[in-house]
Amino acid sequence: MTEVSGIEEFGNATRMTYFQLADDWRSATGKDVSVAVIDSGIDTTHPDLAGKVVDSVEARVDKKKVVFDPSDAGDSAGHGTACAGIISRIAPDTKLHSIKVLGAGGLGDGMAFLAGLEWAIKQRYHVINLSLGTTKPQFFAPLHDLLDRAYQAGCIVVAAANNLPQPSFPSVFSSSLISVVKSAETDPLNFGFHYGEIIELTAPGVNIRTPWPGGGHRNLTGNSFACPHIVGVIALLLEKHPDLTPFHVKSALYAIAKENQNQNS
Amino acid sequence: MSDSYESDLPAKLQRLIETIDIANVLTDPLTRSIEDLLRATAADIKSEEASVLIRDGDEGDLRFLSAIGKVAERLIDMRVPAGKGIAGFVLSSGQPMAVSNVEQDDAFYAEVDKATGYSTETILATPLRYEGEVIGVLEYINRSGDPPYEAFTPDEMDRAARFADAIASLVHAYESAKLFRDMSQMIIGGESEFDVSEVRDWLAGFRGGAEHKEMMDLAVIVREIAGRGEAERRMCREVLDAMLKYTDDKTETSFLSY
Repeated sequence: MTEVSGIEEFGNATRMTYFQLADDWRSATGKDVSVAVIDSGIDTTHPDLAGKVVDSVEARVDKKKVVFDPSDAGDSAGHGTACAGIISRIAPDTKLHSIKVLGAGGLGDGMAFLAGLEWAIKQRYHVINLSLGTTKPQFFAPLHDLLDRAYQAGCIVVAAANNLPQPSFPSVFSSSLISVVKSAETDPLNFGFHYGEIIELTAPGVNIRTPWPGGGHRNLTGNSFACPHIVGVIALLLEKHPDLTPFHVKSALYAIAKENQNQNS
Repeated sequence: MSDSYESDLPAKLQRLIETIDIANVLTDPLTRSIEDLLRATAADIKSEEASVLIRDGDEGDLRFLSAIGKVAERLIDMRVPAGKGIAGFVLSSGQPMAVSNVEQDDAFYAEVDKATGYSTETILATPLRYEGEVIGVLEYINRSGDPPYEAFTPDEMDRAARFADAIASLVHAYESAKLFRDMSQMIIGGESEFDVSEVRDWLAGFRGGAEHKEMMDLAVIVREIAGRGEAERRMCREVLDAMLKYTDDKTETSFLSY
């Protein structure tokens, strides 16, 4: 049982319990939870992902607007397949939705992923995996707006930090999404939460064995691969506790990470 | 004599300019500096093969600009299509990544290895950014010594990201110099496909356009205000910034068509 309470670091205010989280999520499989992977597409023919991807769409520019068509283009870069593989390994019954915005022709980089995010929010997928980011300042305001919309729609957006000297959006936004940086930890449930830091969550992201287009596997390192670990954990939580709001989920992650920290020490 | 000297002068100047290798003067010091940086940074992260790929065209294709290592010469100017392979992904996503256990027998974009005969086993790729834009990709491939090679570490990824900033500035300078070089070559070299009169016509048409006249009028007004003093300049800037923000807010509503 995890007690999800008010954040203790705020002075000596009375600690308030928000809710109690039964441990049954640890044995969940992500059943009935929908997860969007906004990325380079997913190789749906990979044995690790057989039957896991329920639909795939691809961004296309039509008369200066972005539209999404059903896609059988798979994954030309490998990144989306890797992220999907990680989510699926942690939460094997999760329904994956591939939104291909990278490698799709004719789109500016930032515009493509903004459109993908807006599409995912419109579909009201439970969790959105965003292992992408931009440092272009012109996307700051529109991304903020989209993430507020996601929050209001109850979609939980998880974004990878870029781990570069410049801040990247949206991972530096703290209020309405969950941002993740890689750690050398290997157990997906033993993640960390660093309240007060710009990127709050740490999850496995070093030398992660992942499926790769064409049927093989790769060992990958990057914040991009820490992000789907947290997405997988959220899928487990949501299966057992489907009424959790984005705020609840963040609080729950914090409480679980605190338990992890106590156990590790 | 003076008449003859003056009439010869343009021709002499042209010949003089033609003897200067503009390509070398403008871009070579920069490509050499990029190579030097590649060599120094590769040594720092225990690799001997490194390359810089730059964005080529508007579709997200990449082209090898610079490389060090065994197959460096074969890599230069080789292209990677948009979104292909690890470099293509790093360019379009802006996310650095390290990949090990890169086998040759599946869908990894292996065209570069096939063309060079080199075997990529472990790779670290990080975006090159200049003023928020991803302008290319910096890659380090394999390790010093013999295989099997250890995967690149998170600490090395962080270091590579910092190297990428320095290299990106040089790449940007190279691109600017190349633009100037190409234009100079076209004009001085008198290449047949380049007709100066066409440029003049285009410029005349541009200047004659109603929109251009309006923009010039606006520029004249701004210049006049700016000339009145510091306070006026600040006020003008604030008003224009507010207007820009207002028009941005009006247009940024949806990114989709429905």
